Parts: sequence; C-alpha cells; structure tokens
Amino acid sequence: MNIPFYKYGLFGDDVSLVVAFVIGIGFGFFLERAGFGNARKLAAQFYFNDMTVFKVMFTAIITAMIGIYYLSVLGWMDLSLVYLNPTYIVPQTIGGLILGIGFVIGGYCPGTSCVSAVTGKIDGMIYLLGIIFGIFIFGEIFPLISNFYNSTPMGQITLPQLLNITYGVLVFAVVMMAIGGFAVAEWVEKKLGNKIMEP
Amino acid sequence: MSSKQNEIQHFQKPYWNPYLSGIGLGFVLLLSYVIMGRGLGASGAFSTLVATSINAITPEHARTNEFYSEYISDTSKSPLKDWLVFEVLGVFTGGFISGALANRIKKTIEKGPNISIRSRLIYAFIGGSIMGIGAKLARGCTSGQALTGGAVLNVGSWAFMLAVFGGAYMIAYFFRRQWK
Amino acid sequence: MKNFFQNLSLNKKLAWIAFILGLAAIFAGNPYKGNSFSLDAKELALIVEKEVDHIDVEELADWIIQGKADYRLIDLRSEKEFNEYHIPTAENVQLSGINNYPMLRNEKIILYSQGGIHSAQAWMLLKAIGYKAVYILRGGLEEWTDKILFPILPQNPKPEEIASFKKLIDVSKFFGGSPQTSGKEELLAKKPMPKPEMPSTTSAPAIAKKKKKEGC
Repeated sequence: MNIPFYKYGLFGDDVSLVVAFVIGIGFGFFLERAGFGNARKLAAQFYFNDMTVFKVMFTAIITAMIGIYYLSVLGWMDLSLVYLNPTYIVPQTIGGLILGIGFVIGGYCPGTSCVSAVTGKIDGMIYLLGIIFGIFIFGEIFPLISNFYNSTPMGQITLPQLLNITYGVLVFAVVMMAIGGFAVAEWVEKKLGNKIMEP
Repeated sequence: MSSKQNEIQHFQKPYWNPYLSGIGLGFVLLLSYVIMGRGLGASGAFSTLVATSINAITPEHARTNEFYSEYISDTSKSPLKDWLVFEVLGVFTGGFISGALANRIKKTIEKGPNISIRSRLIYAFIGGSIMGIGAKLARGCTSGQALTGGAVLNVGSWAFMLAVFGGAYMIAYFFRRQWK
Repeated sequence: MKNFFQNLSLNKKLAWIAFILGLAAIFAGNPYKGNSFSLDAKELALIVEKEVDHIDVEELADWIIQGKADYRLIDLRSEKEFNEYHIPTAENVQLSGINNYPMLRNEKIILYSQGGIHSAQAWMLLKAIGYKAVYILRGGLEEWTDKILFPILPQNPKPEEIASFKKLIDVSKFFGGSPQTSGKEELLAKKPMPKPEMPSTTSAPAIAKKKKKEGC
C-alpha cells in the first residue's frame, strides 16, 4: 500500500483541501466530545482537579503512534515520507513555556479555542482575537528575534535517533509511561477530585 | 422513563470518557498521517490569516518581513487556499456538530466564581496573545507540535510538550483566582 | 483469561490493549524499511527519447520571477560552487545524498548541474525510487549563464530577434546579469557572476516557506 497517499501523488492539492476539511471536522468533534470547549475543564488540569487534558492528549498520542508504527513495520506506510518538524531545541522549549503560561491565563490553546468559540463561549471568541493579535506581535518583532528563532537547530530528529534505541522499544516505553501516568491521574482525581463532567 | 431522565435528555449531555475521546482524536491524527503524511494543526491557519491581512493592507511591509512573506510568497494561488486553513474550518464545523448533538451550544463565559466577566475576558485576550507568541516561537501549538510531533516521536515536540506543562504548572498558583 | 478480561472496567481493558500492543512493538522490527521500487525500462526510455522531462531555462526564469513555489530546484554541484553562484531558490544536494534528501514523491523536482551529466544520473536515480515529477534543466547552469544572465544580441539581428532580446534584458537584470549587445571581444572577458542571492524585488527563498507550510 502506498501510505501516505498524498505523498505518493494519489490525489492533488485541491482534493487535499477537501481532506483537510473532513479531518478538521473529526478533530473538532473529538475535542468538543472530550470537553475541551470548556476553559474551566482545561484549566482544572493545572490544579490537579481534572486530568482530562493529560489523559486525552496522551491517549491520542499513543493511539496514533502505535498505528503509525505498525503500518510502517508492515511495510504499508513509508515513514520516511511523513513530515517531521525540524527541531530547534531552545526556542521550542522557551516557546513551550510561554505557551503554557498563556494556557493558564487564557484557558485555551489554539485548537480548543476554535471549538469553544463555535459552541458559544464568549471567552473563547475573545481568546481567538488574542491569538491573532499575538501572532501579529510576533510577526512585527520577528526581524529582531529571528536569530534566536533559528538557533540550536538539530534538524529532523526523532527520539529513537537521539537516544540511540530502537523505535519499537521507545514505543513500548512511551506506552508504559502513558499507562503509568493515567494510573497516577486517576489516583490524583480521586484525591483532589473536582471533576467537571458537565458543561 | 422517569421525568429526571427526560430532563437530562433535554439538557447538556456529559462529556465523553477521556480515553475514548483520546482514541477518537488519535485515529483522526492517524488518518491525517495516512492520507496526507502530515499531522494536525491550528495556529498555522491563524498565521496565514494574519499574513494575508497584512499583505492586503501594506503589501510592501508584508513582503519585506521574513515571517509574513513565508505565508504569502506563493503568488500563483491565494494564500488562504492552504491545508491548515481548511482544516481549521473543519475544526469549527466539527466542534459545532458535536456541541449541537450534545445540546452544549450556549452563549456563556467560562470562568471561576470569584472573577468578574470583564477581568475574565481581559485575561482571555492576554492569554491568547501570549499563546500566539509562544506558538510561533515554538513552531507550532499543542496540536501542531505536541500531538502531531508526539506521535512520531519528534524530539522538539516532546521537549515542547514538557515545557508547556512545566510553564503552566509553574504559574498556575498565581492565577488560581480566575478558575477556583 | 477471557473471563478475566471481561470483568475489567473499560479503562482497564483499554490499558491492557495498549500494553500488549506496546510490548509487541519491541519485537516487531524497524519501521524504516522503506518501500522498494522497480524501474519500468520502457517507460523510462520513452521519456528520455521524447525529452518531455526537460525544462527550459526561460521557463524556469519565468517561474522564479512569478514567485511560483510548486517546484523544488536542486543544484547538484559541489558546495563550493553552490556558494559562489546558484540559481535563486535552489537547494544544494550532492548526488550521493539525493535519495535521502527530504523531497516528496509528488513534488515537481527540477535538477541542474554544470552541464547535464549529473542531473541525468540523479534523474534516473530519483525515477527509480518512485519520484513522479522529476525534470532536468535543459543545458544546466551553462545555458542559464548564457541565455539568462548574459544574453547576447547576435550581429546583424533580425527584427524579431531584437524584440525577444528586449524582453530578455529585463529578465537578465532581474537576476543580476548583464545583457551583451556587441560581439565576441566582450564574450571572451569573463563576466563576474552575480551574488547568489534572491533578487530584492521578490520575497524570501521559497525553500524556507515550504518547510514551514506543513508545520502548525
């Protein structure tokens, strides 16, 4: 099988936009299902009251990771054709810290704020405007920080390459970490539980 | 059927089991990789939007700025005819479908009980701005980096993910009034 | 065993499934096997014969000026030569590394070298491993230099030659070259190659943009 389809030229750019829309629908649907249109539920993660953000994110990561891994091992998918964002370790870590701060202050991340705004949350709509303003600020100061932005490049690199262990072992390690994390999350919720089950 | 059950049906339904939502999300991500060879995203669509707007207002400025020009330099088609832009339009649609099916579409403001609406909205704007800057510096947001890169074991994405949780837990205490 | 599994809660069932799939992953092998491709000799021969896989320098110049970004321009010469001069938007890739270079199998890839031998070799290699749209810049950098950077108006030109030359003047200046109007003496003097930068009238190199496009 020629997976990924697009990279083997099975369809063109115009069709890819339709695919984008359909995949987006799935993405938005499950974000909303999980309760990610609700800032209180998202923020509760950072007070250990509701660990849904962690659970959903890591379940999604291990699901996709296992799927990609087995498709590639079976030879149906060419993993080398999959897009890897190049790593720039320092700006990405600093960016992550800044993003985390924005998460707690604003209550959303970009994807969840779309879902929040479209389900009628005013704070989500304002948050979206904030993102646009923030990107504008970033664009304006970009000439000043472009050196930092492009610093510490490591290229397209994966954890198995960095740590020099086989891909399969790392998949196992991540799954174990996730299951362990889920167990802890369940325990924490029982202790500090103030779960937000309904909107 | 008891009246209580009936009542619940008319009101908002509870959120799904997080693991099931997560598996659903994971399959969407996997599908994106299988069909397109790339993952999901969100903030990139807004970058395109900003760059396109700047280009419409002051083309000269947009073209000389290295950040904007990356989004608009392909003049053979509209910059808004972009994969991520259409994907985010889908996110809006999908969120709406799910919300509508669960009776969750309602004009509200999500906040803790101890903060005024005005402050909450100001915080939302500030938070959004900080997020916008952070996401661009990190070359992606929670969807484009953490989820997408996490699934293919990208080094930068995992560092980013740890930093997001680190940054959030670091300052959560100082903003507890907003949520508790 | 079956009973044990059935009695578990949904969450625990899911955890077990994840554990089993994870454990099996250790023994499943290497995901980077890569798919193998075969050459369709007849098809290749046909393409070579008809030269449909060539792109003219004028065409390429036009694309660069328009800011078209649906192609990848690959410079196969050495890094030193590349740094001295290269066609704007080009990326430097050595022939030995081209099969590992991050390009998509459906991207329009244009190859060039000094003349044409290296591009022909790379063309064959890329075709063999499944790249669909690979093209060779006709005449390579030599032709680019002669026709685009330093075009020459022939002596005793015909009217249509003058007209097309006038068009070339703008193109040549865009790329920092200089059109030649007189005869051979000037030709013999070595022209300094323009700096290998993107002309100021257009925006940042297309390469950087393409990388970003797939990111978040």
